[in-house]
Amino acid sequence: MSLPNKKGYFGAFGGKYIPETLSVCLKELENAYNSYKRDSKFKQSLSFYLNEYAGRPTPLYFAQRISKQLGLKVYLKREDLLHTGAHKINNALGQALLAKHMGKHRVIAETGAGQHGVAVATVCSLLSLDCDIYMGAEDVKRQQMNVLRMKVLGANVIPVESGSKTLKDACNEAFRDWVTNVRTTYYLLGSAVGPHPYPMMVRDFQAPIGIEARSQILKKEGRLPDYLLACVGGGSNSIGLFYPFFADKQVKFIGVEAAGFGLGGYHSASLVKGEPGVFQGSLSYVLQDEFGQIKNAHSVAPGLDYPGVGPEHSYYKVSKRAKYEAVSDDQAVEGFRFLSELEGIIPALESAHAIYYLKPLAKKNKGKTVIVCLSGRGDKDLDIIKEYNQKKQRK
Amino acid sequence: MRLKDKFKQLKKENRGAFIAYVPFGFPNPSATKNICLSLERGGADVIELGIPFSDPLADGPIIQAATTKALANGANIDKFFSCLGSLDKVLTIPVAVMTYYNPIFKFGISQFFKQLKKYKVSAVLVVDLPLEESDEYLKQARKYDIDTIFFITPTTDKERIKRIVRSTKGFIYYISITGITGPKDIAYGAITKQIKGIKKLSNLPVCVGFGIHSAKQVAEVNKFSDGAIVGSSIVKFIEGNYDKKDFLRRLERYTASLCMK
Ligand SMILES: Cc1ncc(COP(=O)(O)O)c(C=O)c1O
Repeated sequence: MSLPNKKGYFGAFGGKYIPETLSVCLKELENAYNSYKRDSKFKQSLSFYLNEYAGRPTPLYFAQRISKQLGLKVYLKREDLLHTGAHKINNALGQALLAKHMGKHRVIAETGAGQHGVAVATVCSLLSLDCDIYMGAEDVKRQQMNVLRMKVLGANVIPVESGSKTLKDACNEAFRDWVTNVRTTYYLLGSAVGPHPYPMMVRDFQAPIGIEARSQILKKEGRLPDYLLACVGGGSNSIGLFYPFFADKQVKFIGVEAAGFGLGGYHSASLVKGEPGVFQGSLSYVLQDEFGQIKNAHSVAPGLDYPGVGPEHSYYKVSKRAKYEAVSDDQAVEGFRFLSELEGIIPALESAHAIYYLKPLAKKNKGKTVIVCLSGRGDKDLDIIKEYNQKKQRK
Repeated sequence: MRLKDKFKQLKKENRGAFIAYVPFGFPNPSATKNICLSLERGGADVIELGIPFSDPLADGPIIQAATTKALANGANIDKFFSCLGSLDKVLTIPVAVMTYYNPIFKFGISQFFKQLKKYKVSAVLVVDLPLEESDEYLKQARKYDIDTIFFITPTTDKERIKRIVRSTKGFIYYISITGITGPKDIAYGAITKQIKGIKKLSNLPVCVGFGIHSAKQVAEVNKFSDGAIVGSSIVKFIEGNYDKKDFLRRLERYTASLCMK
């Protein structure tokens, strides 16, 4: 399968829409990645760290109580059990090892929920790399525990005051830093977005999610699942789960975006409500106004609060390989409680979007087997939940 | 006026171009026409007019703040074109339009160039559209006879330079630094060398931008290039002075001081 093509396109989506300063450096990155991914030493050290350090493979857990209640067979792919608490560590390890191989000593990254920032700070500490993390000032407030974690790990957290002060602006700031320091600095992008080769590279580094889930479900059920379900921010945990099932046409993919306050108001549903556009390095679905200005996104889950999405998802959407739905803030919080109360697993608010979607899915699909990517754990979100509850009480 | 004719004229006068960048709509859409006229009276040889974009990832804080303000004050591509329409009859120097790709993509590439032609725009530059992604853009630009300016930076290798100069018309934009827009020190020696290299591969004028913010730098840069592009310091001047009574006169004088006229 040749997705993306040589120019970094998934069908009509992808590419490299970047300032000239980055052209040669992206080419360098592409070459490095293409050679290291075939390099047995590189593969060995990546799988060593994934297994021994991050905690792969993660379990595919049969969630008995919610399955019973919903009339579905629900399996949870437990990325929340990984070191640092989310799937982000898979990608951070892969790219940091690549950075090390390329001889870069400084790593920069953007973060929304802080999970990617924590993962990057962690691997930088492990591999002895200097680390600067850009984070929207709004998210710095929302995710204080993760800010503290990054600092404890030795990273420098830089609050971004421009724009909506969330992930998109942190991303712009990281790009600006990269344009300035491109010769010495590795930009460790946190999702399957940005210019080629990032969407491909991040997908590959997240693919263990789907590769493991596929063999685990075959072992447990003797067959492939009917549905794969995952939340979509930039689209990395979902593409990591979906991609290894790409050729299994009987397996349906559902990506769940954030409907925020509702699809008529502020939300982050780029695939459901956006239009094709060029944003932060690639051509993909994006939330924009009639003049091509990028809109501010909103989600109760900071990791979904992003107006763009990875180009591979745009391709899946247009080619109908996957379906995309949206779940509101209130519904996500309901999903958060549902899993916590029935299974004793507190999900990240991002993942709680996918969990909630089990309910509407169950209505027409009794007895079907579903794998949900539990992309992260919810410890980081307790402050948001507290505030959410207080607001509801006041109403 | 076309860039080609401007550079011919400058050659006769034996001097480099002074190119002034301002974002359309800053501080508000109705201000741009008079700002452009002040820049011309102050001695600007070319105006680089920006279409503001919400996520200007190659711009530093000064221009970023200005374009954010422009958008907040209602700048959009429709108003941009009507501003060009009002400048059409009164401005005599060439206009080059600078922007990011998405506003063009959304507007429609062909439609965009058609409008530029209508308002006699000479050239266009798109910060986040490298050569590799510009097939359709180039096709439409050629159809409507608009010059396409591409960038060369300190990280561009020789192979790329060869390809870039082939698709460039008007002038080559040499970015003096790796980095974003905003006042910087300029490494004259290194840039001189790079420009000599580019001149071996192309007959196009080469202008230098990013970082230039003083009259002294403009003069230095124009010793070894065909033009100096100044953005952030003009924008900063506008920000600091636009609510003063004789703002347009001040801007004219400030422009004149930058190009030493
Ligand atoms: C736990 C968790 N899940 C999901 C996401 C969304 O990102 P993606 O769509 O790239 O998986 C994030 C992003 O921060 C996250 O922290």
